[in-house]
This record gives sequence, C-alpha cells and structure tokens, in this order.
Amino acid sequence: MKVTFPHMGNVYLAAKALLDGLGIDYVIPPKNNKEALDIGTLHSPEEMCLPFKLMIGNYVQAIQKGADTIIIVGSCGPCRFGEYCELQMNLMKNLGYDLNFIVIDYPKDIGIKELYRRISQVSSKSNRKTYEKLKALSNSLKVIRLIDEIEEAAHMFAGYERNKGDCKHILNECKEEASKCRTSKEMINLLIEYKEKIKHVPIDINKNPLKIAVIGEIYTVIESYTNFSIEDKLMGYGVSSHRGLTPSWWVKNALLSPLKINSLAIRRNAKKYLPLQIGGHAIECVGEAVTASKEGYDGAIQIFPMGCMPEIVSKSILPTISKDLDFPVMSLVVDDMTGEAGYITRIEAFIDLLERRRESVLFRC
Amino acid sequence: MKVGIPKGLLYYKYHPFLITFFKELGADVVVSEDTNKKILDLGVKYAVDEACLPIKIFHGHAVALRDKCDIIVIPRIMQIKKNEYICPKFCGLPEMVTNSIENMPLSITEPIYTFTKKRLYRWAKSAGKKVTGNEFKIKHAFLKAYEGQLNYNAGILDENYDIKIALVGHPYNIYDNFVNMNLVNKLNKLGVGVETMEFTHELLISLEINNLYKRPFWTFARENYGFAVNASKEKRVDGIIYISSFNCGIDSVIIELIKDKVGSFPFLTLKVDEHTGEAGIDTRIEAFTDMLERRIVNESNIPTHG
Repeated sequence: MKVTFPHMGNVYLAAKALLDGLGIDYVIPPKNNKEALDIGTLHSPEEMCLPFKLMIGNYVQAIQKGADTIIIVGSCGPCRFGEYCELQMNLMKNLGYDLNFIVIDYPKDIGIKELYRRISQVSSKSNRKTYEKLKALSNSLKVIRLIDEIEEAAHMFAGYERNKGDCKHILNECKEEASKCRTSKEMINLLIEYKEKIKHVPIDINKNPLKIAVIGEIYTVIESYTNFSIEDKLMGYGVSSHRGLTPSWWVKNALLSPLKINSLAIRRNAKKYLPLQIGGHAIECVGEAVTASKEGYDGAIQIFPMGCMPEIVSKSILPTISKDLDFPVMSLVVDDMTGEAGYITRIEAFIDLLERRRESVLFRC
Repeated sequence: MKVGIPKGLLYYKYHPFLITFFKELGADVVVSEDTNKKILDLGVKYAVDEACLPIKIFHGHAVALRDKCDIIVIPRIMQIKKNEYICPKFCGLPEMVTNSIENMPLSITEPIYTFTKKRLYRWAKSAGKKVTGNEFKIKHAFLKAYEGQLNYNAGILDENYDIKIALVGHPYNIYDNFVNMNLVNKLNKLGVGVETMEFTHELLISLEINNLYKRPFWTFARENYGFAVNASKEKRVDGIIYISSFNCGIDSVIIELIKDKVGSFPFLTLKVDEHTGEAGIDTRIEAFTDMLERRIVNESNIPTHG
C-alpha cells in the first residue's frame, strides 16, 4: 500500500511527519502546478469548483509515482466539499485507475465505528506499537502548529523588517528544509530552530506598515498556487498580512465543534451580519472582516473560487460591513482561467488605495 | 398590514402554506407578479454578480415588492428533512437580500425547519408575532395552512403520450415558466409527455440512495437523483431532461452522479441563465425528441459506440 493525499498549503509536512512516524509507505504529489491543473480541468465536471480540479491533478500525478491509496477528509455541511469523495471515486474509476479511497468523515455522520474502521485501514498497515502511533499523531499536530506559527510571524514581521526580504527568505528556506527531513523528530527540531530565527529577525518597531487581513474560502487562501502566492506578494510589497484560516485552526475547530465552543470570537463578531452557520466558512469570513477592522487593520482581501456557494453569501454581506465600519474590502474570484497580470494589478491598486487613505503617501519610500 | 411574498425560489412548492398562513392571520397578502423581463433586470441589477439565476430572480421579486408592503417574507429555509440542507445560499438568503437592496421594509427571516410539525410551528409563532399578537389566531392559521400544504401536490404527470421524459431539476426552474421558457408546453407540443419527481415514492428514492457511497446531504439532490435513476431503471421514461441554472453548485454534483449511474440512457442538460436564448433551447429539445423517436423506431437501441 502506497498512500497519497491532496495538497493544501503546508499540510503535506504534517502528513509526512505522521506517515513517517507510522512507518507507512507514501507518495507526496508534486506541488500544485500548471500540469496538475490542466489534468484536473480536463477530467473534472465543467462547473466544479477549483479545489476539486487541483485535487484530481494531484491524484493523477501521485499515481504516476506509484500511489494506490488516497486519503481525504469529508464533511457533511451544505457546501459541496462533502460530495467530493463520491464524485472523485467515480471519476478516477472511469479514468481506469484501481484505487482505494479512505474518507475520514465526521463521526456524527458515519458513526464512530465506521470512522474507526476507516482509520484502521491505514493504521493496521503500520507495524509500530499503539504508543508510537499516538506519538506520531501528536508529532504531526505539533508540526502543523509550528509551521503555522512560523508563517504567521513571517507574514506579520514582513512589514517591520529592517532588511527587506528577510522574512520571505527564512520562510521559504524553512519549508524547503522541512520537506527534506527524514523523521518527524528531526522536522520538529528544525521547525523550532526556524521559529527562533524568525523571532529574531531585525525589525524596526517604529515602522507603521499597511496591515491586510486575508479572508475567504479555506482552500484558496491556504493553497498558495490558487491565489498566486498572494501572501508572498504582500511580503514583497512590505505589507503585513494576517490569515485566520490555517490548518491548525481547522483541527482545533473540528475538535471543539461538537461542544459548540469553537471560534467564539468570530461567531460573536459575525452575529450582527450573519447570525447562523450556513456551511463552508462564510461565518468565519464575515467574522474575520469585523475582527480585522476592530484590530486596526487597513483592509481585507477576500479570495474564493468561482461558484463557491457560501462565499457568495459572504460577498454580498461584505459591502455592508465595509460601509458600516469604514473598512475597505476587496473580493477576488479565482478559477482555472484567472490571469496573473490582472490579478496583480488589482492587488496593487488596492494597496495604493489603502496607502492614500492614510495621511502620508510616501511612508514606504 | 400588508405582507409581501416574493414569487421566487421555493414559493412554487410552498405557496399554499405561506399564503394561507398570512391570510388567516388577517393580513393583506401581496404576491409579486409572475417572473418577467423587468423582474429579471431588477434582480441582475441588485444581486451580487456571482449569484445564480434563481437567486437573482428572487432579488428582483423582492425589489418589486419593496414599496408595496409593510413587511416582507424572506424564507430562510434551513432544512426540509433532518440533516439535509437545500443550499448554503438559502440559509443566507435574508442576509443577501437585505444587504444588497437598500430601503427594504421589515422582513420575516426566522429560520425554517420543516422536518417536524413542532419545529415548523416554532417558526410560525415567531413569524406570526410580527403580524398579530393573538396566539390563538396563530395556532389556528398554522393548522389550516399546514393542512392546505399537505393537500397540495405540484408535480406534472402527463399521460397518453408516445414519448415520455423525466423532467429533473430544482422546483424553481421547473415551475417558473419564464426561466425555462415554457419548456413543458413546448415538450407537449412536440408530442412528449413529462413526469416530475413528486410521483416517485419515498421508499424507491431511498433504495437508490442506499447504493451511493455517501448519503447526499441536499434534499433536492437526493430526490432528483433517486427519481432520475429510478425512472430510467424501470423504463418508465424514454429520456431524462435536466434543467439547471448556470453555476449551481448542487447541480454540478448531481448531474455527474446521474450521468455516471444511467450510462448510455438518453440524457439532456439544459443550462439556463440570464442570457439564455430561446432559439437555442428550442433547437436542443427538438433534436433530443428526434433522437428519442428514432430510438423507439429502431427497437434494438444499440448505442453508436458499440
């Protein structure tokens, strides 16, 4: 059995740590690229959303490298992400691949027994002791938490750094090195080292950079290929950015949601504009826009794939928030045909607009 | 008090309930006119660009009612059956409408769960309070409206036609004759009878659903899939026409599932949006009917690809 999984930002690092710890053979699909997107667009239903197409591309490229088992997560919300597994199974079968799909779903929908059975399909292939398996799981959670913290710090410090490009350089180096690690222990040590490094980047606290919140649909904000590395670009412009939706946030949210104590602040802030959970991450999007404006951010950028149902609702709410709180928000819609040049022009224009809202226009020179 | 009810989305399925309920409460019920070009244009103007056609049309109806009523009903239908949703846009419909259209009157936006009578009564109580203070009246109106809804069955079931097709899709596409450009009439004129999903027994639908790896969590996905697959399997119909609005997330999934299941059974997808031309639709349904006729004449039904 050779396991693979679709990409989503840095999740592959955590999955690598977990599978290394379990001693299971795995293939990491090549990072999202033009070819993966082309494969996905060719085979997927036309009106499907972008994440689906990229995932198909990931599978095909991983199969070419020998994978035969695919692990994905599911959901039963009203958003169509929950139906991905069924469609992808049919699609891959019709393409002639003989694959084993393992869908990790919420226990409230499939029952705890079924969930256990599905997980044991993977874990039974590992010859480690139960203690070691649990250790591997906790290590992988540690990895995802560390890499999210490093990323968050790098994005925030990018506006304050003394030597331009420091944060970007450290972050990219960190990701590169981490993917080369052989054991999860090694990876954790490396990440801790880089966390210290990013904390000690020389910064100028007197600078007052633009601060932008990146909000929107979880896959497109996390996966840098779909949003044309918007966060790297913002770092390059010397803009501090913050993104609330991270893989570690998702884990925490999923664990706390049965008790209904997940993301309380977001729900409190969103309540005035969107009182109910409508699926996807619409409530998070609205809540984060309000939070960002309260915390003194200069603006927010919403990113979502074309046709995303929950985000269309939040997009129609955002103009009201923008008006009420005097807070600029720009929405960017991405799909497989988005052109990078038009996209960058809009981001630059938005940053110019935010600068001009301040008194001094020339502070960045 | 004038209560406005927009003639969009699931109005076509639940209008007996809504109209009776507010009439019995003693309110003047104002229903917007049938969908027309003017309403569509208003909807396109006010709704968010990415929304689908039915949502835009609902916005149009809401704008048309804006100055004609004191309170407007924007049904936030969360779940019709337990653990089954309709679409995220339905859950956020009141927010979409009130944030996109200025100067909206007061609105009734309480979430609606219809899977038990008790849950629905909870909605009736909070919605009724905005019209009258008399709780007895609310209860009376609710019971009458509930009964009226139970006795109402929308579906279309034509008999005495040589060719029969299953018309599948969301109710607001099938029953809104402006959106589908009188599709049912056109089919009847071509000598094609139509059957819709309302006549397939719940058990048969569940039977088909159980063959799926994952239980669909959208009510209309479940019903449409179950009906289309069941009708094709039992050879009750000669072909399937799926009418879908452009960019509908649910249809993008369900069309694939049906196509995958029915294999080479005749299947036509009609996409509608605000730019759809009538001539194109006509040509397509005529061609589809011709194909069905030839299949019946040449009994062998051998597909061209062997």
